Amino acid sequence: MAIAKAERLMNLALCLLGTRRPLSKRELRESIEAYLEAGNDDSFSRMFERDKDDLRELGLVIETVENLDGEVGYLARRDSNRLPPITLDAEEAAALGLAAKVWQQARLAGAASGALQKLRAAGLPEDVDPYEAHGALEPRIPVHEAAFEPLMLACRDRRPVVFDYRKATAAHPETRNVEPWALECWRGHWYLAGWDRDRGAERVFRLSRITGKVRSRGTAFTAPVPDVVTVRETVASWAGEIADRSALIRLRSGSGYPLRAKATAVRELGDGWDELEIPYGHGLDAWLVEFGPDAVVLEPAELRADVVDRLRAVAKG
Amino acid sequence: MAGKPVRPVNAIDQTRRMLSLVTYLRERPGARIADVARAFGITEDELVSDLDVLPMCGTSFRGGDLLDIDTDGERIWWHNAAALGEEAAEPLRLAADEATALLVAARAVATLPGLREGDRQALLRATAKVETAAGEAGDASARLSVTFESEGGVFADVDRAIAERRRLWIRYYSPARDELTEREIDPIRLVSVGHTYVEAWCRRSEARRTFRLDRVAEIKILDEPSAPPEIELRDLSEALVQPAAEDPEVVVEVGPAGRWVAEYYPHDSADELPDGGLRITLRTPDPASLRRLALRLGGDGRIVSPPELADSARRAAREALAAYDQVGHGDVEGQRL
Repeated sequence: MAIAKAERLMNLALCLLGTRRPLSKRELRESIEAYLEAGNDDSFSRMFERDKDDLRELGLVIETVENLDGEVGYLARRDSNRLPPITLDAEEAAALGLAAKVWQQARLAGAASGALQKLRAAGLPEDVDPYEAHGALEPRIPVHEAAFEPLMLACRDRRPVVFDYRKATAAHPETRNVEPWALECWRGHWYLAGWDRDRGAERVFRLSRITGKVRSRGTAFTAPVPDVVTVRETVASWAGEIADRSALIRLRSGSGYPLRAKATAVRELGDGWDELEIPYGHGLDAWLVEFGPDAVVLEPAELRADVVDRLRAVAKG
Repeated sequence: MAGKPVRPVNAIDQTRRMLSLVTYLRERPGARIADVARAFGITEDELVSDLDVLPMCGTSFRGGDLLDIDTDGERIWWHNAAALGEEAAEPLRLAADEATALLVAARAVATLPGLREGDRQALLRATAKVETAAGEAGDASARLSVTFESEGGVFADVDRAIAERRRLWIRYYSPARDELTEREIDPIRLVSVGHTYVEAWCRRSEARRTFRLDRVAEIKILDEPSAPPEIELRDLSEALVQPAAEDPEVVVEVGPAGRWVAEYYPHDSADELPDGGLRITLRTPDPASLRRLALRLGGDGRIVSPPELADSARRAAREALAAYDQVGHGDVEGQRL
């Protein structure tokens, strides 16, 4: 039976961490059973390179050193791999215990537990129930979008990407070339901010509208990465959260609570109707139509016309 | 808590865990399996499978360099802890992904409106310490951020009611019916997934219900004790609101501009249409509640079935247009608030 990958990685890690001098590939092969059984030199070499990458992904700093005879050796020095001293009290431990459970994405969930386990090994206080400390609170970060992981890695490694993107109202997707800066989750949806190379401008993309695979480009970023990337403001303006005008509507008494909650002024008309002044931003027309015959726009005329157009479309549908 | 979902064995996660286990076990001869599993946040079965692999690991498979770790099913013993030099068993620095995962989550939770101040302070202190310990590995965490939405005042009241085991009275807005209802609920837990919800036992419907905090119009903590029945909590990896198999089916066809429906409504299927639109099939216990959706879509989509729903949307639109005819724009000129 083939030797499990975790066993092979663990052996490589222990060899590299345990040595004081660089070990050559030949020496490593002789010390690790899975490598001896790896078949020919080519397949061993490929396996070894992949394993080294995996261990680096786990945070191991592996140095490559050439000796006087030109032979390449590898080692993971203690100094560069040791966790700096960190002391956390029971409350802080409970807080991190809660944070480590938040991710619903396999890679980050695994990484968060891994971080907590390293801190446990370094003496993080135990026997603290995060539910005791934090009430019955369960925050979860949902990640349903397939594009998330490749984009997260591309943001981390600053690699430009190409993907097909379907704009909210477009019939067909378009190919976009993007230098990815940052990902942000708002109201349960993920957004990417970055430099759109073809448009020569900053753009925000909603991950659920990316169709097909995210491919990475071997080139470097061409535009400077801003210190502060503002995703939420852009998305909030799409969502009509940024209101710059005011609308006057008539609302049937007792209905439309969310409109009332937003209203800046309410006047009872006494005939089963109220008059409300509400902030008017992008998307208000579509929202008002939802209330059907219970809401009538009085002003501005432009909003009134938009709502009437929408109602006509439904009425004749 | 409900049982943990069974996780597939991932060689990367297992290796990472075993490296920490080696450090941890070295300091704790005779550690109990149950305690170690809890400290590592894994099941006892997962720990036992690690303990099966560890004796195959060492600095060489020759000459007794393998780790002599075994268990009697209750405690874990390491007979040659010296096989690994003192230094080789030190805690390892955090990887970039590890630091990112922990820091982004901790920062997100710390910004939750309504969180107890003591908890927020503990999170912020822990975040600062982890940032320092992570060093450069923590830099990539600036590339990800998460905001949880919550109504701070409502959150604090629900949190207090749960801690003090007291019943709540709420006035709750149901968008499906555009109405406010009063209910007494026994809160069980607060769940933040983008928005924040309270999962509770609703005394009015005698059933488990999930309430979104930003739809709570009013809240009062009652003197009566909360007594939710023992129920199995929902698995949070699933959507919070799950249609039941017996719920009636609704079919909606949308044009390109109505594709957002598939992003916001849990559905059974969404088939591409030739014009770039979608044919979406979803289920809901109360199709009438989708009248709002039909109205909102306007010309960007239509209800295919059930026909009663399509009719009711048309009727509502005609009534609304009639109201517009009555309340003409000119009537209100000069009557500003």
